[in-house]
Amino acid sequence: MKRKFFNASFLIAFLGALLFIFSLSPVSSKAEKTYQIGTDVTYPPFEFANKQNKYVGIDIDVMKAIAKEEGFKVNIKPVGFNAAVQSLDAGQIDGVIAGMTMTPERVEKFDFGTPYYKTGVVMAVGKNSSINSFKQLKGKRVALKTGTAAASYAESIQKKYGFKTVTFDDSDNMYRDVETGNSVACFEDQPVMQYAIKQGSKLKIVTKPANQGYYGFAVQKNKNKELVKKFNAGLKKIRQNGTYDQIVGKYLGDGGNPKVKGKTFTIGTDVTFPPFEFANKQNKYVGIDMDLMKAIAREQGFKVKIKALGFNAAVQSLESGQIDGVIAGMSITNDRKKQFDFSSPYFQSGVVMAVNPKGKVNSLKDLKGKRVAIKTGTSGADYANSIKKKYGFKTVTFDDSNNMYQDVITGNSAACFEDQPVMQYAIKQGTKLQIVTKPALAGDYGFAVKEGQNQALLNAFNTGLKDLKASGSYDSIVENYLGSKKDQKIVTKGSTSDDRSFIGLIKENKDALLSGLSQTMWLTIVAIFFATIFGIIVGLLGVIPNRFGNGVSSVLVYVFRGMPLLVLALFIYTGIPSLTGTKIPAFVAGIITLTFNEGAYIAAFVKGGIEAVDKGQMEAARSLGLPFGKSMRKVILPQGIKIMIPSFINQFIITLKDTSILSIIGILELTQTGKIIIARNLEGFKVWTIVAVMYLVIITLLTWLSNWVQRRTKV
Amino acid sequence: MSENQAKIKVSDLKKQYGDNLVLKGINLEVANNEVVVVIGPSGSGKSTFLRTLNKLEEPTSGSIIIDGIDIAKKDTDINTVRENIGMVFQHFNLFNNLTVGQNITLAPVELSKETQSEADQQAKKLLDMVGLEEKFGAKVQSLSGGQQQRVAIARALAMNPDVMLFDEPTSALDPEMVGDVLEVMKRLATQGMTMVVVTHEMGFAKEVADRVVFVDDGQILEEGTPDEVFSHPKNERLKSFLDKILNV
Repeated sequence: MKRKFFNASFLIAFLGALLFIFSLSPVSSKAEKTYQIGTDVTYPPFEFANKQNKYVGIDIDVMKAIAKEEGFKVNIKPVGFNAAVQSLDAGQIDGVIAGMTMTPERVEKFDFGTPYYKTGVVMAVGKNSSINSFKQLKGKRVALKTGTAAASYAESIQKKYGFKTVTFDDSDNMYRDVETGNSVACFEDQPVMQYAIKQGSKLKIVTKPANQGYYGFAVQKNKNKELVKKFNAGLKKIRQNGTYDQIVGKYLGDGGNPKVKGKTFTIGTDVTFPPFEFANKQNKYVGIDMDLMKAIAREQGFKVKIKALGFNAAVQSLESGQIDGVIAGMSITNDRKKQFDFSSPYFQSGVVMAVNPKGKVNSLKDLKGKRVAIKTGTSGADYANSIKKKYGFKTVTFDDSNNMYQDVITGNSAACFEDQPVMQYAIKQGTKLQIVTKPALAGDYGFAVKEGQNQALLNAFNTGLKDLKASGSYDSIVENYLGSKKDQKIVTKGSTSDDRSFIGLIKENKDALLSGLSQTMWLTIVAIFFATIFGIIVGLLGVIPNRFGNGVSSVLVYVFRGMPLLVLALFIYTGIPSLTGTKIPAFVAGIITLTFNEGAYIAAFVKGGIEAVDKGQMEAARSLGLPFGKSMRKVILPQGIKIMIPSFINQFIITLKDTSILSIIGILELTQTGKIIIARNLEGFKVWTIVAVMYLVIITLLTWLSNWVQRRTKV
Repeated sequence: MSENQAKIKVSDLKKQYGDNLVLKGINLEVANNEVVVVIGPSGSGKSTFLRTLNKLEEPTSGSIIIDGIDIAKKDTDINTVRENIGMVFQHFNLFNNLTVGQNITLAPVELSKETQSEADQQAKKLLDMVGLEEKFGAKVQSLSGGQQQRVAIARALAMNPDVMLFDEPTSALDPEMVGDVLEVMKRLATQGMTMVVVTHEMGFAKEVADRVVFVDDGQILEEGTPDEVFSHPKNERLKSFLDKILNV
């Protein structure tokens, strides 16, 4: 009866627990969608806790504004950057907004919303440091934050400039490492670094933003299109209604380029020049030139009024000062440079050859004796005629492009020559041809202003163009009209050649993992050595007949056993240098941390082991006239140590595992190595499995060794 | 038995644990070669008293003068004094990590009284005396209680003490072992060893003691020859104690 009752109550409790778990899971709350959004713990000005301990920052405010705009709810969870990314990967949260740069690897792994913030990587050094270039880093140590784009950038130039790196989990510890002089420099995203300095970090930025990129909102690949859609729609709305600028302004003080901000410029363009400018079905002007101009204006904070005057009229209006600039697929020529100031080239054009993809013609040499289609009066025709003799082909002339393309598609002509963007656009629109040559007679398109005038606009255009190119926005505009280069891109990034199987990952990261493992082993061995000495001394202090010694022992055990290892590690590594002004290498700080922490535990069981030896043993030894020390050494310790051995073995295993906590101060041991690998390839599950197995193997070996020692001492 | 011949002179000895006064002012003299047996009910303080004599218990006040040296004083080098006072414990307290021989030779060798081979020679002689000559190399754990206690006596004797303290040496033994241990103690007594023995073995007290001391409630209530104490007790508590012990 009693037993039955127990079973029933157990079952009820179990079901209750299940219900509780289900009630927590988002599955049940489909009616009013609340998205779980992961973010970093501290990444000001994007996310941080304010004085009221509420999470604020650009990311948080943007996310909330978008949620409000689109009528969904968000639950923002500041779990830390890596944890957020891994939770997203594992599907535990719906999205991540954490100043996350849209790197090619990440874009491959996650779906991103429209970029919402522009950034670049800068290097910062101590306020009084004389370092101001990468070259001065040779042989020095540089602090990085795990998994950031800044860290990837630093790693990419590490070999070239010959510096060492140390990685941290949060920005604060990274800054501290540079402030204390442990590292000479750190790499960080520009807005973050600027904000930190504004808030009082004793650092200074010494390089221009490099490796520019955009922050994006990420969701699981192919699993949450709906949320991305909502995010993009909301972002568009808050950008249009000014909320976005307000948010950014609140944290960074200003947005856009102050010289052109708020002004309206009149820009002339051609009437029809697809894919650069043309009226779409809704009779709105679109095209590469149009989209580019608008994107730059938005980026730089000015407004544009587009006037489709026709090419010649636009150029003349600019000359007379009636308009502020011209963007019209206008080649930069020496003649035009005399009258106009040109921007950096925003498009490179040239003549390309296109063929039927099913044909056998792949290069100019294949044209010998064949017929080639050209269009009257185009640069393509001029180019074809100029090389006609050299390659020995005949030409046939058409009046419009479509007929020319058809002639090649049907096989009457072997190839045709056309301006690259025009050809690409045609292919995108469904023409079944393939471009097989590189652009010849290359020329650059530029944005023009009247010579010596509107320089602010020109500068703004150049800056904006650079930003758009860095962020990939430029590419997406061009791709929109000329077709995706994505296939090509993935190949060039080489990521598809990565073997993401366990064996592949092990092969690829073998060296890193082994060096992490050896660091872990070193930490363990050295720490065990010192912790054992420290522990035995403190443990003995606890049993000697001396009140002061007992007190010291108790306090040491109390303090170091009572403090979380993580806190102790941070205190010793960042706290001690602040107090004493002397820097401590991370490895040494790690050893000190483990010595104190593990030593405190060892002291406790050394004391316990000695006290477990029958009191009569000590009395008998003392009654013979043996002093305390001799009695301890000859009689008590030999018996006590036998009692302690299992505790020692246990403590050694704990020490090995505890070394993983030292990843917080940037020691490149096994766990930190794992973190860094995952930050790069985002294969959290597999890499953690590999790391876990490595720990288990080592611990198994250590256990075998200890059992062997234990057997030997028993005999 | 004149004053200056006293081997041990205890005056107004008090021992206090917190609020609990365990020894309430003990006065006792032990002459050279004298065998004093201390009897009394459990918890009377007799063991505590014995343990203060080699300072295993720190006296709270009073003096304990042994060979003219007051060991109750803080600055006395107790280790030197202890070399001359052997102690045998109720639970033997042989060193479990050492062999029988090592138990006996540890102190003489460690304190540089003898070389290891001298100590070994002497240990064998002492083992012979207590009837365990074949146990020199044995492990402590392989010995019976009675054997262990005899080794403990040999261990104490190895330092050539001139006083031996026995703290209920037979209480933890099986009855059939008691005789062997008492036999060794008797032999020591006849050899003229100064001994203070806390015991419940009234037969031993009657036969061997020069003087019997009855302790109860932290005080000496009566003392005298075995005949005086056992045959003509005066103190009421001693009478009732003897009644209980002898008429079981």
